[in-house]
Amino acid sequence: MTRIPRQHEITQLLAEWREGNQSALDELYPLVYDELHRLARRYMSRERKGHTLQTTALINEAYVRLVDQKNVHWANRSHFFAISAQIMRRILIDHARRHAYAKRGGGAQQVSLEEAAAVTPEHSMELIRLDEALKSLAERDPRRSQVVELRYFGGLNNEEIAGVLHVSENTVTRDWNMARAWLYQQLTGSGAN
Amino acid sequence: MTLDRWQQVSRIFKSAIDLDGEARAAYVVDQCGSDESLRAEVEKLLDSHRQANAADFMNGMAVEYVASMLIDDNDQKSQPRILKGQQFGSYVILDSLGAGGMGEVYLAQDSRLDRTVALKVLSHDISLDKRRMQRFRQEAKVASSLNQPNILTVFEFGEVDGLTFIATEFVDGETLRSHLHGKKRKLAEILDITIQVLSALDAAHEARIVHRDIKPENVMIRRRDGVVKVLDFGLAKFTEKKHSAMKMEESEAATAVKTAPGIIMGTINYMSPEQAQAGDIDERTDIWSTGVMIYEMVTGKMPFGGATTSHTIVQILEKDPPPLSKLAPVPDELERIVRKAMAKSPDERYQTAKDMLIDLRALRKRLDVEAELDRTSSPSTPVTAVATGETEQWTQKTKVLVIALIGMAVVTAAIFAVNIWRSSRAQTSAPVVTAAPPAAERTLTYWITVQKFKDKKPYQEPFTLAGEINFETNYQVRVIVRTPQGGHLYIVNEGPESDRPEFVVLFPSSTANGGSSSLAASQTLQIPEKSWFIFDPEQGVEKVWLVFSEEALPEFETIREFANRKGLITDPARNEAVRNFINTYSAAKPAVEKGDKLTTLKIQGKLLVYPIRLEHH
Repeated sequence: MTRIPRQHEITQLLAEWREGNQSALDELYPLVYDELHRLARRYMSRERKGHTLQTTALINEAYVRLVDQKNVHWANRSHFFAISAQIMRRILIDHARRHAYAKRGGGAQQVSLEEAAAVTPEHSMELIRLDEALKSLAERDPRRSQVVELRYFGGLNNEEIAGVLHVSENTVTRDWNMARAWLYQQLTGSGAN
Repeated sequence: MTLDRWQQVSRIFKSAIDLDGEARAAYVVDQCGSDESLRAEVEKLLDSHRQANAADFMNGMAVEYVASMLIDDNDQKSQPRILKGQQFGSYVILDSLGAGGMGEVYLAQDSRLDRTVALKVLSHDISLDKRRMQRFRQEAKVASSLNQPNILTVFEFGEVDGLTFIATEFVDGETLRSHLHGKKRKLAEILDITIQVLSALDAAHEARIVHRDIKPENVMIRRRDGVVKVLDFGLAKFTEKKHSAMKMEESEAATAVKTAPGIIMGTINYMSPEQAQAGDIDERTDIWSTGVMIYEMVTGKMPFGGATTSHTIVQILEKDPPPLSKLAPVPDELERIVRKAMAKSPDERYQTAKDMLIDLRALRKRLDVEAELDRTSSPSTPVTAVATGETEQWTQKTKVLVIALIGMAVVTAAIFAVNIWRSSRAQTSAPVVTAAPPAAERTLTYWITVQKFKDKKPYQEPFTLAGEINFETNYQVRVIVRTPQGGHLYIVNEGPESDRPEFVVLFPSSTANGGSSSLAASQTLQIPEKSWFIFDPEQGVEKVWLVFSEEALPEFETIREFANRKGLITDPARNEAVRNFINTYSAAKPAVEKGDKLTTLKIQGKLLVYPIRLEHH
């Protein structure tokens, strides 16, 4: 499935967003969503075949498909990565929330007999907790939080992150180590805060 | 931690991380000086770093974590993902031809061989089932390689972006389903179509391939010359598991294919008795389904079709449909052929497609001769026409409910319930189940199906109980009620005993029985319809009150709205009304007749109120 018009569309939306049109971001959402879904599908299909997982390669492909690399200015491209990672995070957390919510029975009252809800992935709660921890990290350390967002949600490598954030690759590595250790601490409950 | 402190910690952390062992420890001590809490903070973070490494924490991407969930959610929403003009592998999509149970079908152009094909893109859950996919490919290839003109030719199997597709010969025509359109067909045409279907089956059966899903949707008629093509050999394997009664070793596979309740599947009306019972299936299943198809073409009606899936299955297993001759003028010979094809026992059916084919060809030949004779003697009696004309409408006096889209859980559960019902009926001699009682008596039969769960997954076979026992907390249950007579049924749950019990509405709800309390005679109802009840972790006795009345009861009619909100009657006044009603009318106790697998309740009068006690610990 090639979507030639889409690349142009995204380039356009990015330009509009740069010029201050916030609704451009909302229009990007479904486009990124489609790519993300496609990525998930391919990921699952490879996993089941027992192939080595190369999500990075998959996500790079997704980006290439989304943006016409040749015609997008580097600055635009960085912005695009940043926005995409942000959108991907939003999508994944939305899904996780929906699943976790379904699991709790739609927040209904506990009654004597309750219909057993369908089994939902345990992972959704963990992802939600990670998202919340990441939010509090952003309050004290926006850059480290963004490194996590770009890497974990956006699938960017350190070099690309360095490009987006205008810092050295070394800094990205250090930021990542620190942020990840802190998040781990928060999620395992060993954090004193 | 203050911002200042955070910066201190991070400054020490980022340098310490590049050092090893003692050097790192020394560095931390040196940097923190006498600030003990700062040192503890830094050391803890360094320790977390080590642990996070060991645990591979966040070593990957979030999308990997929730990929399956993302797919599930998305597939519920949007099946068609390929648009006109798009490239799909080496195919260009020209048009959408429609959706089937297995996925979307497109008209496409093969750019390599420059030919037009039908491209079936299988839905995701099916694509993921690799093992069965392998067998399907094999069978479909073999069937296609038979080069039988009535079997659709398969060109290619492939995968694009994790989606499995099948490219087949494109047949410009319509399915037998749309061709029938609920109308009776002329005998000559019926014979023509059936003979072609059986020719395809004969060739396939010779190659030891059973179709398993013969129905009008899987038969195409080419516009140009009326040639019939049978579609989807081997593909039925995927739906079959969903149709069949749940066997435990299959529940894993069922989970893998679980996806969404909205999963689309075919009709059960063509299913053979052995399919409905999840028995062994062979070529004779196809014979049965072909018989059903003839029946439908002749009469314009399905031989089996109840108001619910359970009813239909009971009919398939036990009822003989009205003879063809009662619904349309047919030759006795056709009546005999159809009856033989639709014998309940496979041993009594045609044993091969060839045998049935021989009989049908002989019949066609005879009719041709007779028609010829008629034409020369009295042209006014068209022997070969079953219906008086193309325009004759199928009068829907007894409307057959064709259940085309059913969540798999409903079907498996319903089949399951029916099977239990059958086996329990065979084991107990409870004549009340079928005999309609005198008017001034209320009677009701119920049993309970119990499924054990472990780690949220069912394990071991479900079993049935006549009622009251001590339940374990890992048991999940369904209550199945059968009404030998019609009436209004209400079921509420009363939680563990207290002075002011709260009630939970279990039936009617918006889903079960179309949201109505009104049940027909001989109706079987499963509650909950799709899932199972789980017990409160607290020890206690639950009462499930069955209220069965000749007339609708306002106290209960007004509480059904709560059923959609997890059932609890949150309005104190209405909760009180239910409590008073039950207190008053449960004084008259019905006679309880317990069999091995079911309980029958009987009471004089127009109202039956009875609590099923479920004790759990």
